[in-house]
Amino acid sequence: MMSYVFYGKDGGGILKIFKHRKFMAGLFILFFSVNGMLVAEPESKVAKLEATIETTPEAKAVVLTFQKKLLSVMEQGEALGFKGRYDTLEPAILKSHDLARVARIVVGKVWKGFSDVQKKTFVDVFSRFSIASYAHNFKESSGEESFEYEAEEKTARGGVIVHSTFMLPNNKKVKFDYMLKNKSGEWLIINVIANGVSDLALKRSEYTSILEREGFDALIAKITEKIDNYTNQ
Amino acid sequence: MRLFRHHNIRLILLYTPTFFLFFLLVGCAGKDPIDIEGTSIDVSEQEVDPYEGFNRKSYAFNQVLDAYLAEPVSDAYLWVTPEFMQLGISNFFNNLKDVNVVLNDLMQGKFVQGGQDVGRILLNTAAGLGGLIDVASSVGLEKHDEDFGQTLAVWGVPQGPYIVLPVIGPITGRGVPGAVFDTAANPTSYIGYPVHLLQMLNARATAQGSLRFIDEAALDPYIFTRESFLQYRNNLIYDGNVPVEAGGLDFDDEFYDDDFAEEGSHSLSESEILSGFSVSSESQKKKKSAIDKRIEDMRFKLELKEEKKSKISAGSSGAI
Repeated sequence: MMSYVFYGKDGGGILKIFKHRKFMAGLFILFFSVNGMLVAEPESKVAKLEATIETTPEAKAVVLTFQKKLLSVMEQGEALGFKGRYDTLEPAILKSHDLARVARIVVGKVWKGFSDVQKKTFVDVFSRFSIASYAHNFKESSGEESFEYEAEEKTARGGVIVHSTFMLPNNKKVKFDYMLKNKSGEWLIINVIANGVSDLALKRSEYTSILEREGFDALIAKITEKIDNYTNQ
Repeated sequence: MRLFRHHNIRLILLYTPTFFLFFLLVGCAGKDPIDIEGTSIDVSEQEVDPYEGFNRKSYAFNQVLDAYLAEPVSDAYLWVTPEFMQLGISNFFNNLKDVNVVLNDLMQGKFVQGGQDVGRILLNTAAGLGGLIDVASSVGLEKHDEDFGQTLAVWGVPQGPYIVLPVIGPITGRGVPGAVFDTAANPTSYIGYPVHLLQMLNARATAQGSLRFIDEAALDPYIFTRESFLQYRNNLIYDGNVPVEAGGLDFDDEFYDDDFAEEGSHSLSESEILSGFSVSSESQKKKKSAIDKRIEDMRFKLELKEEKKSKISAGSSGAI
Protein backbone atom coordinates (compact mmCIF):
# COMPACT_ATOMS: atom_id res chain seq x y z
CA MET A 1 0.00 0.00 0.00
CA MET A 2 2.71 2.46 1.05
CA SER A 3 4.74 1.75 -2.00
CA TYR A 4 1.66 2.51 -4.11
CA VAL A 5 1.31 5.93 -2.49
CA PHE A 6 4.97 6.74 -2.91
CA TYR A 7 5.64 5.33 -6.34
CA GLY A 8 2.08 5.24 -7.79
CA LYS A 9 0.91 3.01 -10.55
CA ASP A 10 3.19 4.22 -13.34
CA GLY A 11 5.55 6.10 -11.08
CA GLY A 12 2.83 8.75 -10.50
CA GLY A 13 2.78 8.82 -6.67
CA ILE A 14 3.98 11.39 -4.18
CA LEU A 15 7.60 10.99 -5.16
CA LYS A 16 6.67 12.32 -8.59
CA ILE A 17 6.57 15.70 -6.99
CA PHE A 18 10.35 15.69 -6.75
CA LYS A 19 10.50 15.58 -10.53
CA HIS A 20 8.74 18.95 -10.63
CA ARG A 21 11.15 21.77 -11.20
CA LYS A 22 8.95 24.21 -9.32
CA PHE A 23 8.85 22.06 -6.25
CA MET A 24 12.59 21.64 -6.27
CA ALA A 25 13.03 25.37 -6.68
CA GLY A 26 10.73 25.90 -3.69
CA LEU A 27 12.73 23.44 -1.63
CA PHE A 28 15.91 25.19 -2.59
CA ILE A 29 14.47 28.55 -1.55
CA LEU A 30 13.25 27.17 1.76
CA PHE A 31 16.70 25.82 2.48
CA PHE A 32 18.11 29.18 1.52
CA SER A 33 15.83 31.06 3.90
CA VAL A 34 16.46 28.78 6.87
CA ASN A 35 20.13 29.07 6.14
CA GLY A 36 19.75 32.85 6.10
CA MET A 37 18.10 32.83 9.51
CA LEU A 38 20.89 30.75 10.97
CA VAL A 39 23.74 32.76 9.51
CA ALA A 40 22.36 36.21 10.29
CA GLU A 41 22.38 35.95 14.07
CA PRO A 42 26.11 35.73 14.94
CA GLU A 43 26.96 38.40 12.38
CA SER A 44 25.01 41.11 14.19
CA LYS A 45 26.51 40.11 17.52
CA VAL A 46 30.00 40.54 16.17
CA ALA A 47 29.10 43.95 14.80
CA LYS A 48 27.78 45.03 18.19
CA LEU A 49 30.87 43.83 19.99
CA GLU A 50 33.14 45.70 17.63
CA ALA A 51 31.17 48.88 18.00
CA THR A 52 31.35 48.92 21.79
CA ILE A 53 35.13 49.02 21.93
CA GLU A 54 36.39 52.48 22.88
CA THR A 55 33.59 54.11 24.77
CA THR A 56 33.02 57.51 26.23
CA PRO A 57 30.95 56.82 29.33
CA GLU A 58 30.27 60.51 29.99
CA ALA A 59 28.73 61.08 26.55
CA LYS A 60 26.67 57.94 26.82
CA ALA A 61 25.46 58.95 30.28
CA VAL A 62 24.26 62.33 29.01
CA VAL A 63 22.11 60.62 26.39
CA LEU A 64 20.77 57.91 28.70
CA THR A 65 19.86 60.39 31.43
CA PHE A 66 18.07 62.58 28.95
CA GLN A 67 16.17 59.65 27.44
CA LYS A 68 15.11 58.51 30.89
CA LYS A 69 13.74 61.95 31.64
CA LEU A 70 11.94 62.04 28.31
CA LEU A 71 10.28 58.69 28.97
CA SER A 72 9.15 59.75 32.44
CA VAL A 73 7.65 62.93 30.98
CA MET A 74 5.86 60.83 28.36
CA GLU A 75 4.46 58.57 31.03
CA GLN A 76 2.96 61.48 32.94
CA GLY A 77 2.38 63.35 29.69
CA GLU A 78 -1.36 63.72 29.78
CA ALA A 79 -1.48 64.70 33.43
CA LEU A 80 1.27 67.27 32.98
CA GLY A 81 -0.23 68.94 29.94
CA PHE A 82 1.89 70.93 27.47
CA LYS A 83 3.03 73.50 30.03
CA GLY A 84 3.90 70.82 32.57
CA ARG A 85 5.90 68.86 30.00
CA TYR A 86 7.65 72.02 28.82
CA ASP A 87 8.62 73.06 32.33
CA THR A 88 9.83 69.58 33.28
CA LEU A 89 11.83 69.11 30.09
CA GLU A 90 13.37 72.59 29.96
CA PRO A 91 16.11 72.04 32.57
CA ALA A 92 16.83 68.53 31.24
CA ILE A 93 17.21 69.79 27.66
CA LEU A 94 19.30 72.82 28.63
CA LYS A 95 21.58 70.56 30.64
CA SER A 96 22.10 67.97 27.91
CA HIS A 97 21.93 70.02 24.69
CA ASP A 98 24.18 72.83 23.52
CA LEU A 99 21.31 74.88 22.10
CA ALA A 100 23.34 78.06 21.70
CA ARG A 101 25.77 76.22 19.46
CA VAL A 102 23.00 74.51 17.54
CA ALA A 103 21.32 77.86 16.96
CA ARG A 104 24.58 79.21 15.57
CA ILE A 105 25.03 76.26 13.24
CA VAL A 106 21.51 76.26 11.83
CA VAL A 107 21.79 79.76 10.42
CA GLY A 108 25.21 79.14 8.87
CA LYS A 109 27.42 81.99 7.79
CA VAL A 110 24.71 84.56 8.31
CA TRP A 111 25.32 84.32 12.05
CA LYS A 112 28.28 86.64 11.67
CA GLY A 113 26.05 89.31 10.19
CA PHE A 114 23.56 89.22 13.08
CA SER A 115 23.60 92.09 15.54
CA ASP A 116 24.05 91.21 19.23
CA VAL A 117 20.34 91.71 19.84
CA GLN A 118 19.49 89.47 16.88
CA LYS A 119 21.86 86.79 18.13
CA LYS A 120 20.27 86.85 21.57
CA THR A 121 16.73 86.86 20.17
CA PHE A 122 17.47 84.00 17.84
CA VAL A 123 19.10 81.76 20.46
CA ASP A 124 16.20 82.48 22.80
CA VAL A 125 13.45 81.76 20.26
CA PHE A 126 15.27 78.73 18.89
CA SER A 127 15.71 77.26 22.38
CA ARG A 128 12.03 77.73 23.17
CA PHE A 129 11.13 76.08 19.85
CA SER A 130 13.39 73.08 20.56
CA ILE A 131 11.90 72.53 24.02
CA ALA A 132 8.35 73.04 22.74
CA SER A 133 8.97 70.47 19.97
CA TYR A 134 10.04 67.90 22.52
CA ALA A 135 7.07 68.73 24.76
CA HIS A 136 4.70 68.38 21.81
CA ASN A 137 6.12 65.27 20.14
CA PHE A 138 6.66 63.22 23.28
CA LYS A 139 3.32 63.91 24.86
CA GLU A 140 1.99 60.50 25.79
CA SER A 141 2.97 56.93 26.40
CA SER A 142 1.32 53.57 26.04
CA GLY A 143 3.74 52.15 28.57
CA GLU A 144 5.52 50.13 25.90
CA GLU A 145 7.96 52.79 24.71
CA SER A 146 11.58 52.49 25.62
CA PHE A 147 15.04 53.50 24.46
CA GLU A 148 17.66 50.88 23.79
CA TYR A 149 21.30 51.81 23.72
CA GLU A 150 23.07 50.27 20.72
CA ALA A 151 26.60 51.53 20.36
CA GLU A 152 28.76 54.58 20.10
CA GLU A 153 31.49 55.79 17.83
CA LYS A 154 34.02 58.56 17.79
CA THR A 155 34.22 60.95 14.89
CA ALA A 156 37.39 62.22 13.28
CA ARG A 157 37.34 65.53 15.10
CA GLY A 158 36.58 64.30 18.58
CA GLY A 159 32.79 64.13 18.50
CA VAL A 160 30.88 61.13 19.77
CA ILE A 161 27.84 59.55 18.15
CA VAL A 162 25.61 57.56 20.48
CA HIS A 163 23.37 55.13 18.60
CA SER A 164 20.08 54.09 20.15
CA THR A 165 16.70 52.74 19.15
CA PHE A 166 13.35 54.08 20.27
CA MET A 167 11.03 51.11 20.66
CA LEU A 168 7.35 51.69 19.99
CA PRO A 169 4.29 49.47 20.28
CA ASN A 170 3.59 46.97 17.43
CA ASN A 171 7.27 46.19 16.86
CA LYS A 172 7.87 49.66 15.48
CA LYS A 173 11.29 51.17 15.90
CA VAL A 174 12.89 54.52 15.26
CA LYS A 175 16.65 54.83 15.20
CA PHE A 176 17.85 57.77 17.29
CA ASP A 177 21.48 58.79 16.87
CA TYR A 178 22.88 61.59 18.98
CA MET A 179 25.88 63.65 18.00
CA LEU A 180 27.74 65.05 21.00
CA LYS A 181 30.62 67.46 21.27
CA ASN A 182 32.73 68.27 24.25
CA LYS A 183 32.35 71.78 25.58
CA SER A 184 34.86 72.58 28.30
CA GLY A 185 34.79 69.09 29.76
CA GLU A 186 31.07 68.52 29.30
CA TRP A 187 29.52 66.35 26.63
CA LEU A 188 26.52 68.03 25.05
CA ILE A 189 24.09 66.90 22.37
CA ILE A 190 24.23 69.04 19.25
CA ASN A 191 22.27 66.91 16.82
CA VAL A 192 19.61 64.23 16.84
CA ILE A 193 19.33 61.98 13.81
CA ALA A 194 16.04 60.08 13.59
CA ASN A 195 16.04 57.18 11.11
CA GLY A 196 18.89 58.83 9.26
CA VAL A 197 17.25 62.24 9.07
CA SER A 198 19.43 64.85 10.73
CA ASP A 199 17.46 67.47 12.63
CA LEU A 200 20.30 69.94 12.34
CA ALA A 201 20.72 69.52 8.59
CA LEU A 202 16.99 69.83 8.05
CA LYS A 203 16.72 73.01 10.10
CA ARG A 204 19.83 74.46 8.53
CA SER A 205 18.40 74.04 5.03
CA GLU A 206 15.11 75.56 6.08
CA TYR A 207 16.53 78.47 8.06
CA THR A 208 19.19 79.51 5.60
CA SER A 209 16.62 79.42 2.82
CA ILE A 210 14.10 81.52 4.75
CA LEU A 211 16.80 83.99 5.82
CA GLU A 212 17.89 84.33 2.24
CA ARG A 213 14.45 84.83 0.78
CA GLU A 214 12.51 86.55 3.55
CA GLY A 215 14.96 87.81 6.15
CA PHE A 216 15.49 87.64 9.90
CA ASP A 217 12.12 88.95 11.10
CA ALA A 218 10.19 86.49 8.94
CA LEU A 219 12.22 83.61 10.35
CA ILE A 220 11.54 84.67 13.94
CA ALA A 221 7.84 85.15 13.13
CA LYS A 222 7.61 81.67 11.63
CA ILE A 223 9.31 80.00 14.59
CA THR A 224 7.14 81.90 17.05
CA GLU A 225 4.03 80.81 15.16
CA LYS A 226 5.12 77.18 15.48
CA ILE A 227 5.71 77.57 19.21
CA ASP A 228 2.22 79.08 19.56
CA ASN A 229 0.69 76.17 17.63
CA TYR A 230 2.39 73.67 19.90
CA THR A 231 1.33 75.56 23.00
CA ASN A 232 -2.30 75.82 21.95
CA GLN A 233 -2.80 72.27 20.75
CA MET B 1 -3.63 35.57 -19.42
CA ARG B 2 -5.23 38.08 -21.72
CA LEU B 3 -5.58 40.52 -18.87
CA PHE B 4 -1.94 40.03 -17.98
CA ARG B 5 -0.82 40.83 -21.49
CA HIS B 6 -3.02 43.87 -21.61
CA HIS B 7 -1.44 45.21 -18.44
CA ASN B 8 2.03 44.64 -19.78
CA ILE B 9 1.30 46.77 -22.80
CA ARG B 10 -0.18 49.46 -20.61
CA LEU B 11 2.91 49.48 -18.42
CA ILE B 12 5.22 49.73 -21.39
CA LEU B 13 3.21 52.59 -22.88
CA LEU B 14 3.18 54.36 -19.55
CA TYR B 15 6.81 53.97 -18.68
CA THR B 16 8.67 54.37 -21.95
CA PRO B 17 8.35 58.17 -21.77
CA THR B 18 9.39 58.07 -18.10
CA PHE B 19 12.53 56.17 -19.00
CA PHE B 20 13.27 58.72 -21.66
CA LEU B 21 12.77 61.50 -19.15
CA PHE B 22 15.15 59.80 -16.76
CA PHE B 23 17.96 59.52 -19.24
CA LEU B 24 17.41 63.11 -20.18
CA LEU B 25 17.67 64.19 -16.55
CA VAL B 26 20.63 62.01 -15.75
CA GLY B 27 22.25 63.31 -18.88
CA CYS B 28 21.75 66.85 -17.61
CA ALA B 29 23.27 65.99 -14.27
CA GLY B 30 25.93 63.58 -15.45
CA LYS B 31 28.64 64.24 -12.93
CA ASP B 32 30.81 62.42 -10.50
CA PRO B 33 28.57 60.41 -8.14
CA ILE B 34 30.38 61.66 -5.07
CA ASP B 35 29.57 65.21 -5.99
CA ILE B 36 25.88 64.56 -6.32
CA GLU B 37 25.32 62.16 -3.47
CA GLY B 38 23.73 63.45 -0.29
CA THR B 39 21.68 66.42 0.62
CA SER B 40 22.02 70.03 -0.22
CA ILE B 41 24.25 70.54 2.78
CA ASP B 42 27.30 68.90 1.38
CA VAL B 43 26.78 69.86 -2.21
CA SER B 44 25.35 72.99 -3.67
CA GLU B 45 21.61 73.44 -3.58
CA GLN B 46 21.80 74.23 -7.26
CA GLU B 47 23.07 70.75 -8.02
CA VAL B 48 20.62 68.86 -5.83
CA ASP B 49 17.56 70.85 -6.72
CA PRO B 50 18.18 72.59 -10.04
CA TYR B 51 14.48 72.75 -10.88
CA GLU B 52 13.36 74.32 -7.62
CA GLY B 53 11.06 76.74 -9.42
CA PHE B 54 9.15 73.96 -11.16
CA ASN B 55 9.34 71.73 -8.10
CA ARG B 56 7.82 74.32 -5.80
CA LYS B 57 4.93 74.75 -8.22
CA SER B 58 4.19 71.07 -8.47
CA TYR B 59 4.68 70.73 -4.71
CA ALA B 60 2.01 73.38 -4.21
CA PHE B 61 -0.23 71.58 -6.71
CA ASN B 62 0.23 68.31 -4.82
CA GLN B 63 -0.57 70.03 -1.54
CA VAL B 64 -3.89 71.25 -2.96
CA LEU B 65 -4.63 67.85 -4.45
CA ASP B 66 -3.87 66.23 -1.13
CA ALA B 67 -5.93 68.66 0.89
CA TYR B 68 -9.01 68.39 -1.32
CA LEU B 69 -8.86 64.78 -2.46
CA ALA B 70 -6.32 62.42 -0.89
CA GLU B 71 -6.63 63.59 2.70
CA PRO B 72 -10.45 63.53 2.95
CA VAL B 73 -10.61 60.14 1.25
CA SER B 74 -7.83 58.78 3.42
CA ASP B 75 -9.47 60.22 6.54
CA ALA B 76 -12.72 58.53 5.57
CA TYR B 77 -10.85 55.27 4.99
CA LEU B 78 -9.20 55.52 8.40
CA TRP B 79 -12.55 56.35 9.97
CA VAL B 80 -14.55 53.47 8.51
CA THR B 81 -11.82 50.82 8.63
CA PRO B 82 -11.14 49.14 11.97
CA GLU B 83 -7.51 49.32 13.04
CA PHE B 84 -6.85 45.59 12.71
CA MET B 85 -8.06 45.72 9.11
CA GLN B 86 -5.84 48.69 8.32
CA LEU B 87 -2.91 46.74 9.69
CA GLY B 88 -3.94 43.65 7.75
CA ILE B 89 -4.25 45.57 4.50
CA SER B 90 -0.93 47.26 5.08
CA ASN B 91 0.69 43.88 5.80
CA PHE B 92 -0.87 42.40 2.68
CA PHE B 93 0.69 45.01 0.40
CA ASN B 94 3.98 44.82 2.25
CA ASN B 95 4.08 41.08 1.68
CA LEU B 96 3.59 41.55 -2.05
CA LYS B 97 6.28 44.23 -2.02
CA ASP B 98 8.66 41.73 -0.44
CA VAL B 99 8.91 40.00 -3.84
CA ASN B 100 10.63 43.10 -5.13
CA VAL B 101 12.70 43.33 -1.96
CA VAL B 102 14.09 39.84 -2.65
CA LEU B 103 14.94 40.74 -6.26
CA ASN B 104 16.81 43.81 -5.09
CA ASP B 105 18.53 41.94 -2.25
CA LEU B 106 19.96 39.61 -4.87
CA MET B 107 20.90 42.41 -7.26
CA GLN B 108 22.76 44.13 -4.42
CA GLY B 109 24.54 40.93 -3.49
CA LYS B 110 22.80 40.68 -0.11
CA PHE B 111 22.24 36.94 -0.29
CA VAL B 112 21.70 36.26 3.40
CA GLN B 113 19.16 39.05 3.62
CA GLY B 114 17.60 37.74 0.40
CA GLY B 115 17.20 34.35 2.02
CA GLN B 116 15.57 35.91 5.04
CA ASP B 117 13.17 37.85 2.85
CA VAL B 118 12.21 34.74 0.91
CA GLY B 119 11.52 33.18 4.30
CA ARG B 120 9.32 36.19 5.14
CA ILE B 121 7.22 35.78 2.01
CA LEU B 122 6.80 32.03 2.50
CA LEU B 123 5.94 32.37 6.17
CA ASN B 124 3.60 35.35 5.82
CA THR B 125 1.80 33.88 2.84
CA ALA B 126 1.40 30.43 4.36
CA ALA B 127 1.01 31.09 8.09
CA GLY B 128 -0.05 34.74 7.88
CA LEU B 129 -3.28 34.23 5.92
CA GLY B 130 -1.91 35.27 2.57
CA GLY B 131 0.12 38.13 4.01
CA LEU B 132 -2.53 39.73 6.23
CA ILE B 133 -0.52 38.98 9.36
CA ASP B 134 3.18 39.70 9.57
CA VAL B 135 4.10 36.44 11.31
CA ALA B 136 7.69 36.67 10.10
CA SER B 137 8.46 39.84 12.09
CA SER B 138 7.27 38.24 15.29
CA VAL B 139 9.63 35.30 14.82
CA GLY B 140 12.57 37.60 14.21
CA LEU B 141 12.61 37.86 10.41
CA GLU B 142 12.51 41.61 10.22
CA LYS B 143 11.24 43.50 7.23
CA HIS B 144 13.88 45.01 4.99
CA ASP B 145 13.39 47.97 2.77
CA GLU B 146 15.00 47.56 -0.61
CA ASP B 147 13.99 48.87 -4.00
CA PHE B 148 15.51 49.38 -7.40
CA GLY B 149 16.37 53.00 -6.69
CA GLN B 150 18.63 51.76 -3.88
CA THR B 151 20.06 49.04 -6.09
CA LEU B 152 20.98 51.63 -8.70
CA ALA B 153 22.67 53.67 -5.97
CA VAL B 154 24.63 50.61 -4.86
CA TRP B 155 25.66 50.13 -8.48
CA GLY B 156 27.02 53.65 -8.51
CA VAL B 157 24.33 55.45 -10.48
CA PRO B 158 24.35 59.11 -9.37
CA GLN B 159 21.38 60.50 -7.49
CA GLY B 160 20.48 62.99 -10.19
CA PRO B 161 18.32 66.02 -9.57
CA TYR B 162 15.51 66.19 -7.04
CA ILE B 163 12.19 66.36 -8.82
CA VAL B 164 8.67 66.82 -7.50
CA LEU B 165 6.30 65.20 -9.97
CA PRO B 166 2.68 66.32 -10.06
CA VAL B 167 0.45 63.74 -8.33
CA ILE B 168 3.36 61.32 -7.75
CA GLY B 169 5.44 63.51 -5.46
CA PRO B 170 9.15 63.73 -4.64
CA ILE B 171 11.59 61.56 -6.54
CA THR B 172 15.18 61.79 -7.77
CA GLY B 173 16.56 61.26 -11.25
CA ARG B 174 17.74 57.86 -10.11
CA GLY B 175 14.38 57.14 -8.51
CA VAL B 176 12.49 57.32 -11.82
CA PRO B 177 13.78 54.07 -13.36
CA GLY B 178 13.70 52.74 -9.82
CA ALA B 179 9.99 53.36 -9.58
CA VAL B 180 9.41 51.85 -13.03
CA PHE B 181 11.19 48.65 -12.07
CA ASP B 182 9.50 48.49 -8.67
CA THR B 183 6.07 48.88 -10.25
CA ALA B 184 6.82 46.16 -12.76
CA ALA B 185 8.13 43.84 -10.04
CA ASN B 186 5.16 44.38 -7.73
CA PRO B 187 2.43 41.75 -8.17
CA THR B 188 -0.15 44.40 -7.21
CA SER B 189 0.49 46.12 -10.56
CA TYR B 190 -1.02 43.16 -12.38
CA ILE B 191 -4.26 42.97 -10.42
CA GLY B 192 -7.14 45.36 -11.01
CA TYR B 193 -8.12 48.94 -10.28
CA PRO B 194 -9.93 48.32 -6.99
CA VAL B 195 -6.69 46.91 -5.60
CA HIS B 196 -4.69 49.86 -6.95
CA LEU B 197 -7.10 52.20 -5.26
CA LEU B 198 -6.84 50.34 -1.99
CA GLN B 199 -3.06 50.39 -2.29
CA MET B 200 -3.08 54.16 -2.79
CA LEU B 201 -5.41 54.62 0.17
CA ASN B 202 -3.19 52.46 2.30
CA ALA B 203 -0.10 54.42 1.23
CA ARG B 204 -1.72 57.76 2.05
CA ALA B 205 -3.07 56.45 5.36
CA THR B 206 0.35 55.11 6.32
CA ALA B 207 1.93 58.46 5.55
CA GLN B 208 -0.66 60.31 7.66
CA GLY B 209 1.61 60.63 10.69
CA SER B 210 4.60 61.90 8.74
CA LEU B 211 2.50 64.38 6.79
CA ARG B 212 1.02 65.76 9.98
CA PHE B 213 4.50 66.03 11.45
CA ILE B 214 5.63 68.09 8.46
CA ASP B 215 2.61 70.35 8.86
CA GLU B 216 3.39 70.92 12.49
CA ALA B 217 7.15 71.18 12.45
CA ALA B 218 8.16 72.64 9.10
CA LEU B 219 8.85 76.33 8.70
CA ASP B 220 9.25 75.76 4.98
CA PRO B 221 7.38 72.54 4.15
CA TYR B 222 8.93 72.31 0.68
CA ILE B 223 12.50 72.31 1.96
CA PHE B 224 11.59 70.18 4.96
CA THR B 225 10.11 67.55 2.64
CA ARG B 226 13.03 67.70 0.24
CA GLU B 227 15.71 67.38 2.91
CA SER B 228 13.99 64.65 4.85
CA PHE B 229 13.20 62.74 1.66
CA LEU B 230 16.78 62.86 0.41
CA GLN B 231 18.26 62.02 3.80
CA TYR B 232 15.80 59.22 4.36
CA ARG B 233 16.57 57.72 0.96
CA ASN B 234 20.28 58.01 1.64
CA ASN B 235 19.75 56.22 4.94
CA LEU B 236 17.95 53.38 3.16
CA ILE B 237 20.74 53.06 0.61
CA TYR B 238 23.21 52.54 3.45
CA ASP B 239 20.74 50.29 5.32
CA GLY B 240 20.64 52.66 8.25
CA ASN B 241 24.41 52.92 8.66
CA VAL B 242 25.28 56.05 6.76
CA PRO B 243 29.04 56.45 7.06
CA VAL B 244 30.18 59.71 8.54
CA GLU B 245 31.84 60.71 5.25
CA ALA B 246 28.61 60.21 3.30
CA GLY B 247 27.07 63.23 4.92
CA GLY B 248 24.63 61.51 7.19
CA LEU B 249 25.75 62.11 10.71
CA ASP B 250 28.72 64.28 10.81
CA PHE B 251 29.23 66.28 7.66
CA ASP B 252 32.91 65.70 8.17
CA ASP B 253 32.75 67.31 11.58
CA GLU B 254 33.45 70.72 10.13
CA PHE B 255 29.71 71.21 10.04
CA TYR B 256 29.65 71.24 13.80
CA ASP B 257 32.67 73.41 14.32
CA ASP B 258 32.19 76.54 16.30
CA ASP B 259 34.21 78.54 13.88
CA PHE B 260 32.42 77.11 10.86
CA ALA B 261 29.96 79.95 10.76
CA GLU B 262 32.77 82.48 10.97
CA GLU B 263 35.39 80.83 8.87
CA GLY B 264 35.89 81.46 5.23
CA SER B 265 33.64 84.47 4.97
CA HIS B 266 36.65 86.68 4.28
CA SER B 267 37.28 84.91 1.03
CA LEU B 268 33.68 85.29 -0.05
CA SER B 269 32.53 88.21 -2.11
CA GLU B 270 29.85 90.47 -0.71
CA SER B 271 27.26 89.20 -3.15
CA GLU B 272 28.02 85.69 -2.05
CA ILE B 273 27.45 86.61 1.56
CA LEU B 274 24.20 88.33 0.74
CA SER B 275 22.88 85.66 -1.56
CA GLY B 276 24.39 83.42 1.01
CA PHE B 277 25.15 79.83 1.40
CA SER B 278 27.59 79.16 -1.28
CA VAL B 279 28.47 77.07 1.74
CA SER B 280 28.49 74.38 -0.86
CA SER B 281 31.57 75.34 -2.74
CA GLU B 282 33.36 76.19 0.50
CA SER B 283 32.39 72.96 2.19
CA GLN B 284 33.27 71.05 -0.93
CA LYS B 285 36.72 72.56 -0.94
CA LYS B 286 37.09 71.66 2.70
CA LYS B 287 35.85 68.17 2.07
CA LYS B 288 38.32 67.76 -0.73
CA SER B 289 41.18 69.00 1.39
CA ALA B 290 40.08 66.66 4.18
CA ILE B 291 40.08 63.76 1.75
CA ASP B 292 43.47 64.81 0.40
CA LYS B 293 44.79 64.85 3.94
CA ARG B 294 43.44 61.39 4.60
CA ILE B 295 45.03 60.09 1.42
CA GLU B 296 48.31 61.68 2.46
CA ASP B 297 48.05 60.02 5.88
CA MET B 298 47.41 56.68 4.26
CA ARG B 299 50.38 57.12 1.93
CA PHE B 300 52.55 58.04 4.87
CA LYS B 301 51.47 54.91 6.74
CA LEU B 302 52.08 52.77 3.66
CA GLU B 303 55.53 54.24 3.27
CA LEU B 304 56.27 53.48 6.91
CA LYS B 305 55.16 49.91 6.40
CA GLU B 306 57.28 49.52 3.31
CA GLU B 307 60.25 51.02 5.11
CA LYS B 308 59.79 48.51 7.90
CA LYS B 309 59.49 45.69 5.40
CA SER B 310 62.62 46.72 3.55
CA LYS B 311 64.45 47.05 6.87
CA ILE B 312 63.33 43.59 7.88
CA SER B 313 64.29 42.09 4.54
CA ALA B 314 67.60 43.97 4.67
CA GLY B 315 68.14 42.61 8.18
CA SER B 316 67.32 39.09 7.17
CA SER B 317 69.51 39.22 4.09
CA GLY B 318 72.28 40.56 6.32
CA ALA B 319 71.81 37.60 8.61
CA ILE B 320 72.12 35.26 5.67
